[in-house]
Amino acid sequence: MSAGVRVTGLGLVTPLAVGVEATWTRLVRGDRAIRPVTLFDVAGQRVKLAGQVDCARLPGAGVEVATGWSRTGAMAVAAAREAMSMAGLDASRVRVGLVVGGTTGGMFETEQLLARLHAEPEARQALVEMLSHPLTATADRLQEQLGPFSRVRTLASACSSGANAIVVGAGWLLAGEVDAVVVGGSDGLCRLTLTGFNALAALDPEPCRPFDRRRRGASLGEGAGFLVLERADGARARGSQPVAELAGWALGSEAHHITNPAPDGAVVAALIARAVARAGLTPADIDYVNAHGTGTLLNDSAEAAALGLALGNEARRIPVSSSKGQIGHTLGAAGAIEAVITALVVARGTLVPTAGLDEPDPALPLVHVPHVGREVGRVRAALSNAFGFGGMDTVLVLTEPQPSRERGAAVSRPASPLPVITGVSVFGCCGLLGAEECAELPTRKIALDALTEPDSHLDPARARRLDRPARLGAVAVQRALAESGAPAAGAGLVLGSAFGNVDGSASFMHRVFDKGPRLASPAEFPNLVPSSPVGHVSIYLGLRGPAFATADFDQSGESAFVQAAQLVAAGEGDCVVAGALEPKSGIVERVLSVLFGHGASQGAAARTDLAVAIVLEGAAAARRRGARALARVGQAIEWRGDDGPALASLRKPRSPGSELVLARADDSVRVLVERTPWREQARVACAPGLGESDGLGAVAIAVAAARIDAGLTGEVLVVGLAPGRGYAIVLEAP
Amino acid sequence: MHAAQLRSQVKRLIVAELNLKGRDPETIEDDAPLFGEGLRLDSLDALQLAVAVEEQLGVRLPDGDEARSVFRSVRAIADYVERARRA
Repeated sequence: MSAGVRVTGLGLVTPLAVGVEATWTRLVRGDRAIRPVTLFDVAGQRVKLAGQVDCARLPGAGVEVATGWSRTGAMAVAAAREAMSMAGLDASRVRVGLVVGGTTGGMFETEQLLARLHAEPEARQALVEMLSHPLTATADRLQEQLGPFSRVRTLASACSSGANAIVVGAGWLLAGEVDAVVVGGSDGLCRLTLTGFNALAALDPEPCRPFDRRRRGASLGEGAGFLVLERADGARARGSQPVAELAGWALGSEAHHITNPAPDGAVVAALIARAVARAGLTPADIDYVNAHGTGTLLNDSAEAAALGLALGNEARRIPVSSSKGQIGHTLGAAGAIEAVITALVVARGTLVPTAGLDEPDPALPLVHVPHVGREVGRVRAALSNAFGFGGMDTVLVLTEPQPSRERGAAVSRPASPLPVITGVSVFGCCGLLGAEECAELPTRKIALDALTEPDSHLDPARARRLDRPARLGAVAVQRALAESGAPAAGAGLVLGSAFGNVDGSASFMHRVFDKGPRLASPAEFPNLVPSSPVGHVSIYLGLRGPAFATADFDQSGESAFVQAAQLVAAGEGDCVVAGALEPKSGIVERVLSVLFGHGASQGAAARTDLAVAIVLEGAAAARRRGARALARVGQAIEWRGDDGPALASLRKPRSPGSELVLARADDSVRVLVERTPWREQARVACAPGLGESDGLGAVAIAVAAARIDAGLTGEVLVVGLAPGRGYAIVLEAP
Repeated sequence: MHAAQLRSQVKRLIVAELNLKGRDPETIEDDAPLFGEGLRLDSLDALQLAVAVEEQLGVRLPDGDEARSVFRSVRAIADYVERARRA
């Protein structure tokens, strides 16, 4: 049976046009927007073409530029506003969630600061602004302009980010956590991505030609795509008109290679089969595929293989096209933009074409739609594929709106309520700890200057591509999984990181400023996407479940944990490892020391490398394999803005021995706890010896589970709090 | 530069750039295949190696089909660098 998620609003900003209607007209006509880049200096770049958005044409562009918005943020607001306006959705009237996917966030703006710092390393203002465009800035901009959203998630899985935002939002809807979600992705062009894809020799010197036998690579693009999703009951109650239905989806990892797709397409084929089955359909019901279709030799042949495997004989009937020959590859936005396009194809019964496809590659047995769109009258169901670096793949199934069923598509019972925790690990200057040692972290003496040495825990040959953040993550995840005994192949991975690899991006760009784009490092580039460590760890450990990164500043670990628990509860995987990855960052240290007005040596508390991993499993799955659970998730609450409803739903402590485990001694947490039934409970600081880290929230969760397992307490509340947002997680004895 | 010295330099560069920790550069044979079998390097390694050769040995390696024969072995890379320097 279809998942029953209604698509009631669409919004687009693409290199073809601003707005859904204008983009659609040009898409069907076969127009192409891939041209010489004018946004920045492209001297020395091998390929100088991309699909560029004229941000001056965005509604309200003047205000945005004046107030320092990133282009990524401005495009996101324009597309999300269009989608909400089409759906007639007012976030102040119903509970609306927001999920945003992206890869580079405000990198274009950050590059300008890096260029200034390159010329003048002590430029104070540039340093102060260095962290002002993190990945989460897009969601913050949307919250400010279009909110209040009752919960917000920022995630990254490279080029499937936009599609995964849709999956996460649909999960919230079906779990009844929200009444509607605004979901999508936005990604602006920048020097870093153009230079990096050129270094990988992944760009076609001509506008890209997906599925053509002369294809020589992708063309980059930029843009934003957003959708409004509602449950059928909610859409009916609001009287909104569904455009299409999100009937099914599947996500998973190839665990193959950091940049190349697995040539056999087997993982993608399995995901297509699962997504189609989840929609209650068979390949005979599918009338169109909007392919990932990047135009690289490897992608297009692997994708054709996957379609052949999954669709069988029907692949000889089902037309396939890629929109990337017209708008380019919009990276973190692509999955969302192309889901919007796919919804329009279903709604209008017209196929969009593959531009530039003059000579179809005879090695790819696909039915094409070359050059211009084709009216076919009816498209019952369609697939939209999105594949990311690191092999994080997502398949969506969009159908015509299904006739309303009396009870269908309402809040569904979670497939696997109350996930359990079967392993934890903390890795940093404290050493590599399992559950037993984590229980003692609150009193453990730690030498902050102790070296964190991941290499002795890893196989050097297989780990050679992993950068330091990925190595730290691999060690923690490997240890937690070993303790858990959960089969790695089935596991997913959600890691939170506050700022991603900001130092890596800076050093990559400094090298480009010094030596020119030609000498940019091809091996370093894939390590700069926020989801790169997740990809590396999934490849190193062979994890094939859902995988992406989340970001929420110093609560990125909490966001990853809550997200992983939601994925398990929704049945997206039997086992998902959650965690935090906060490598020591020279840039974060410098910015904070400037912001706090101290010298770097005595500035904000010293930060150290930190990786945390927490294995979450469905209770039934854990029982089936006879696993010993450390703790069970009793409640996992998150909120934005008003914390009243969230705190009202927080359960009471079950015994006098129930305790709070806190990331840090923080007055605002104390004030918040005073307003809850937990005000009388004992409070434990999770790891006072660890110093300051954005990953302490995840440490608190690991310590909480470990303390329950050690019999020190039967129930723990962990609170992560920042102005305007928070998480409350209750763990209990299994 | 002596041809053997240049080959040693290419080997050291391979070990350093591709992060083949613990591998003694001198154990890489001059004619051993680098890709597919032998060291089992892949296309991403080839790109990284090309950048390193250009930066450190001052020779721009070819792209595309011609690259395939240059990247065949340490000897093939060193010979190409030698020829390019003489030209």
